[in-house]
Amino acid sequence: MPPLDGMATGTGELLAVTGLNVSYGESKVLFDVNLHIGANEIVACVGRNGAGKSTLLKSIAGFLKLNSGTVTCNRVNLVGRMSYDIAKMGIKYVPQDKKVFSDLTVQENLELGSYATKDYNWDRVTDYFPKLKALMERKAGFLSGGERQMLMIARALLGHPKLLLIDEPTEGLAPSIVSHLREVFRELNKAAALVIVEQNLPLVCAIANRVYALKEGRIVAELADAASIRADVCEKYL
Amino acid sequence: MSAQLLTSGVIFGLSIGSIFFLMAIGLSLCFGLMRIISLDQLLYYSVGAYLTYSLTLVTGNVWLGVLGGVVVAGIVSFAVERLIFRRIYERELTFSMITSFGVLIGGIGVIKFFWGVVPRPVPVPLMAQIDIIGTEVPVYRLIVVAIAFLVYAGIWLFLNRTITGKAIRAGIENVEHVEGLGINVSRLFTITFIIAGALSGLAGGLHAPLIMVDPSMGLEVLAFVFMVVIIGGLGSIKGTLISAFIVGQVVSLGSLIYAPLAQMAPFAIMLLILLVKPTGLYGSPLLKR
Amino acid sequence: MAAMVNAWRWWWGILLAFFLVGLSRLFLPLPFIIEVLIFSIYTMGCSFLLGRVGFISFGQPAYLAAGAYGTAFYLFYFGSNPYVGILIGILSGLAVSGIVGPLFVRLRSDYFALVNLALAVIIYYLMQKVLAGITKGDNGLWFLTNIASTPVLDLGKPDHFFIFSILVALAIWAFYKYLDDSVFGACCLATKINEDKLKFLGYSNYGVRLLAFVIANTTTALAGAMYAVYLGFVSPEITSPARAADPVVVTILGGTGTLFGPLVGAIAYTGMKDVISKLIGNWELFIGFLLVFIMLAGEKGIWGTLQPWLERLFSRKKASPAAGEGAGARQ
Repeated sequence: MPPLDGMATGTGELLAVTGLNVSYGESKVLFDVNLHIGANEIVACVGRNGAGKSTLLKSIAGFLKLNSGTVTCNRVNLVGRMSYDIAKMGIKYVPQDKKVFSDLTVQENLELGSYATKDYNWDRVTDYFPKLKALMERKAGFLSGGERQMLMIARALLGHPKLLLIDEPTEGLAPSIVSHLREVFRELNKAAALVIVEQNLPLVCAIANRVYALKEGRIVAELADAASIRADVCEKYL
Repeated sequence: MSAQLLTSGVIFGLSIGSIFFLMAIGLSLCFGLMRIISLDQLLYYSVGAYLTYSLTLVTGNVWLGVLGGVVVAGIVSFAVERLIFRRIYERELTFSMITSFGVLIGGIGVIKFFWGVVPRPVPVPLMAQIDIIGTEVPVYRLIVVAIAFLVYAGIWLFLNRTITGKAIRAGIENVEHVEGLGINVSRLFTITFIIAGALSGLAGGLHAPLIMVDPSMGLEVLAFVFMVVIIGGLGSIKGTLISAFIVGQVVSLGSLIYAPLAQMAPFAIMLLILLVKPTGLYGSPLLKR
Repeated sequence: MAAMVNAWRWWWGILLAFFLVGLSRLFLPLPFIIEVLIFSIYTMGCSFLLGRVGFISFGQPAYLAAGAYGTAFYLFYFGSNPYVGILIGILSGLAVSGIVGPLFVRLRSDYFALVNLALAVIIYYLMQKVLAGITKGDNGLWFLTNIASTPVLDLGKPDHFFIFSILVALAIWAFYKYLDDSVFGACCLATKINEDKLKFLGYSNYGVRLLAFVIANTTTALAGAMYAVYLGFVSPEITSPARAADPVVVTILGGTGTLFGPLVGAIAYTGMKDVISKLIGNWELFIGFLLVFIMLAGEKGIWGTLQPWLERLFSRKKASPAAGEGAGARQ
């Protein structure tokens, strides 16, 4: 059980969020959220639909305007930066919608990942997903759901990100692909921190170092020890 | 109808369709990527035409004038994008439509200020005629058609072979994901807007020798450009090309049969197509952002 | 008694507004006020479409022309009673919007805007060239002398026409205020904000939009008919694409979707037009940049900015006798 031995958490703080408040127009979504992520952690966010998990990731990635609060990465302030700037700093957001650029080929999708980062080493990222190697010339619109998710993650990996924010990666995917993704996440964790929004509890239990539980826009629990995560304590927050 | 009349009618339709295409492509690209309706493209068309007129007066060379028109139209569109559109990308579609109409009307005022209201003639750069199946056809009109196809090929290459073009295509599908990959989307927007403005300027410059240049010339082609964009489908380059030539032929051949048809027939066709397919021939259903 | 108080409360804003307009007759030229009144009716439809249904229409001149030409044809070729003329103008507006409406309201808002503007241009060509035989092309139809004098309100006399326009405007405003308060008004707003939810409630978006479209454009046609009778002359210029933006500009200038926005906007617009065209003569330059400025400044318009301020003023006045010393202390 490599991820749960507590080693990874001790390597210093990568991302810190304090006092985060976010609203969509009139309706407030996040209330005073505080969290931190260590440099080699896998952190899972769980909670019901509408608890504000995706909003949290999008806020960190710079897609939403914050009402108040601070977000820092290695003590560098992220608030007010454009989202492409944050992505360039190595914080990549992988959205939930599994929408690849369907009119572009797989290779062109990867090219766009390389555009900003100047990292053209596609072999490295497709090594995680050998299936993609055979599909390079195919239009991404013709990929299956699992292949799209792989492509989105592969695309985000270009440029060696130090933090990956992955939104519901396994939603609607076949079990075999989920277990493949689980191995990939473990592998990725050697070089980057991961924040994963996930409803799939077995996966969360298997890979997460820590779990934040969100309810109605607030963090209601932080489960840091392996035992309580594994004991499915977080189930009560779903 | 005689074959000669028909041939010259078809050539006329092709050339006018080319002008429509060059203008509509800007509207279409801006809608596709930025989700704005940029009515001010019609201003850049007038700017291109007026610059062609003035530079032709100064240098005596129409082509130099057209080139100047393209450059200045590009510069003006760059300024407008930076000063105005930058602030309204996030807003609803109607917002950009109203604002750009303001830019168009205001720009017409500026043109009146500099050039007055008297229509100006621009000489045709090539007076030569060429024989096509027994009909004398002005070479200039053929050149206009050739330029339109060159532009289409250029746009196609740009969108499919360059990384910036690929990013624009990706952005047409989903701008947020492009941004999430670390690509500066607002720069893409600026590039697209300048391309659109410059092409509208090119349309104006090429059209200038065929018509009289006057301040409200943009408003005169407005309805046709709209019909082209609507028939082709907002956001589709291929649809724009096809519908531009449809509208061009309908205008030209229609007026051969019965003069008022030139204006009415494209409108009827547009209504028909909308009845069958409310998003135009190649338009995609509205992608909500 | 209570009903009367309620009725008064419902009416007093409208009555006050038009009382002020009527009062301005004492110090403003008559043509100016009549222009303002007709223009505000013209804009009402556009404001309703944009503010309540979310349809932006650059094609209002098309419906204005439908009304104006309906009236003009009657008064030029057939009859002489201006009231009948106006009625025919309204009916022709109803007919035109009834014919194109079912097709147009199916469209997405962006296509709707483009198609409407195209319609305005087409009607312009239609009136200028295609039907030149009966519309006399650019020369226009002149029928001022055909208009017969009528008892009570003689529309041939500017003074009487002024009273007539105030009465019509009052009726229009009451009608639109009633619409705003009704279920239909709520449905319109709902189709603007979220069409799916309206569907779930069991209303048809299509029906709501079609009705709103027809109502708004018939109002516009009424304004066209009034122009025709007032000026005694109609030419294709009325639907010129260069003027397509006028109602939209006035709508936004006044404050989109507000009840008094069209009136305030029409006063400001007509006033500025008179002053500016005398001063600098370059009207387009001014109106274009004004439009851009209003949009960038937050699109609330004059009335939208004034309204909260006025409400605060009035509520303080009403509150002060009751609050007694509290209000005094505040001052």
